[in-house]
Amino acid sequence: MAPWLASGLIYSSGLALTAGSITMIYITTRTFNFAVASMATFGFYISYTGVALYGGAPYQYYPFVFLFGSFLGLICYFGLNRHLLNRKAAEITLMMSTLGYDLLLLSFIQMYADFLTHAYRLFPRRVTMNVYDFELFGTRAAAFILPLVTVAILIILHLFLTRTKFGVAMRATIENPVLSKASGINSDSVYLVAWIIGGGMAALGGSFMAMAMTGTPVMGMYTIPLMFAGAILGGLGSLYGGMLGGFLIGITEYAGVFALSQQFGPWVQGYRMAIPLILMAATLIIFPRGLAGIPLGKLIGKLTATKRGENT
Amino acid sequence: MLRINNLYAGYDKLQILYDLSIDVPGKGITVIVGPNGAGKTTLLCSIMGIARVFSGEIMYEDLPIKGELTHNLARRGISYVPQMGNVFADLSVMENLKMAGYLMPGEEAKIKAENMTDIFPVLKKFLYRKAGTLSGGERRMLAIAMGLMKNPKLMLLDELSTDLAPIIAEKVMMEVSRLRNELGITILMVEQMAKRALEIGDTAYLLVSGEVRFKGKADDLLHEPELCSMYLGIKPEDQDIAGIEKPSLEGSE
Repeated sequence: MAPWLASGLIYSSGLALTAGSITMIYITTRTFNFAVASMATFGFYISYTGVALYGGAPYQYYPFVFLFGSFLGLICYFGLNRHLLNRKAAEITLMMSTLGYDLLLLSFIQMYADFLTHAYRLFPRRVTMNVYDFELFGTRAAAFILPLVTVAILIILHLFLTRTKFGVAMRATIENPVLSKASGINSDSVYLVAWIIGGGMAALGGSFMAMAMTGTPVMGMYTIPLMFAGAILGGLGSLYGGMLGGFLIGITEYAGVFALSQQFGPWVQGYRMAIPLILMAATLIIFPRGLAGIPLGKLIGKLTATKRGENT
Repeated sequence: MLRINNLYAGYDKLQILYDLSIDVPGKGITVIVGPNGAGKTTLLCSIMGIARVFSGEIMYEDLPIKGELTHNLARRGISYVPQMGNVFADLSVMENLKMAGYLMPGEEAKIKAENMTDIFPVLKKFLYRKAGTLSGGERRMLAIAMGLMKNPKLMLLDELSTDLAPIIAEKVMMEVSRLRNELGITILMVEQMAKRALEIGDTAYLLVSGEVRFKGKADDLLHEPELCSMYLGIKPEDQDIAGIEKPSLEGSE
């Protein structure tokens, strides 16, 4: 597998999870979660702490990463979001509150990096996580494992939302909060679960992305525009769309940089973020509702009709 | 069963209801009629904890419920069928019914959902279709079925006949009448189709600009030509009452 493709698949899997996290929290609580940046960075530091102090591969620490991200989501919900939702706060207020939480988490990340430096003589401010990876079929194992884990998470989420009583209640609350309350569904518990899942996905996404890029205390801040770009490309109304949007943004960045630098030289690297953002803008101009607004059924119908016409 | 005393309510800072007092006797149909903007839906939203109650008292089974959370009211046996958005359009009919029976154990909810399809046979053939694809009349039937899933003691029905063809609206009204006659459910119904609602109703309130202008027997309101023509659009020549069987309210709460 070409190195750019391997890195692209790893990075895109991480972006898919973070964009999915943004979408999950937005469709349930109307909150654009800016703290996804620091949740992702914390995710990376949990997996780094695991491999640096206890050895092994980063993958074995992912359950802890998810749990820690869920814990951060839980704090955000009980500490901020719940009170604001109960007071029927505007979306802008909900969003700005998560920005405050993000800055708070960023301070804790810096303190944690200092702690790792002084207590364990580590160098946590510039970490290359792929040195802890192993090879599989002649390429980095993460290029196979992480996309598979992302797809597995998507399938588990799908089964949760469609086959379990609470999952269907979540979909009901997302669609019609008033009616769901009148049906006896406690929307408070739905919002809490959304933050727990969303926090876990954000942290896991960050630890995935660190396998393809340099892990730093500000890696979340650097990548947050792309996380949001993924969620927006997905249409903001669909969890599956958000995850697909995140994946497309990530893979476009890597494929675009590879193709353009072959053509124009390595200076293109400096503009790497522009490539997926142009893709997002172009998609939204054609389909204002993002990927969720693409009439796939109609397109397939037209293609089938055209094919039939050619055959007859 | 439900008593509202001196209620002042609205949304945010906007006050819509003024000094409203209403008594809903058990096992009967209480009809709230009035022109657009009278505050009929706000009244139901105030009971369900959706609108803001500024002051006043709401008593359900002799216990205060003002400030109670909506999902707790559902647990206490109050079922609310809103005018708009009364089904989950993205869920299948079966999922809608199961969500309406959210508080029941899974198996019980499934059996109850099947019972609902016996009461509303029209839903049987659409069980696994998204509710958003149903026609207006089918949606209303589903909404009532969802309301009934909770084994309610009190049902709040908000303008069930809106957007329905007259023949379907008539069918829906007959269903409401049957809920009282056969299942003994107490119903508080807000309705634009005033004449038909008053024909099946036992008690009536005429609400105008957030205040009660008439309270009494539903039949009596139909015999108030001035109120009927001024606020309900019922002409004197339309005031012949169809013979609907109404059980006696004696002995009810």
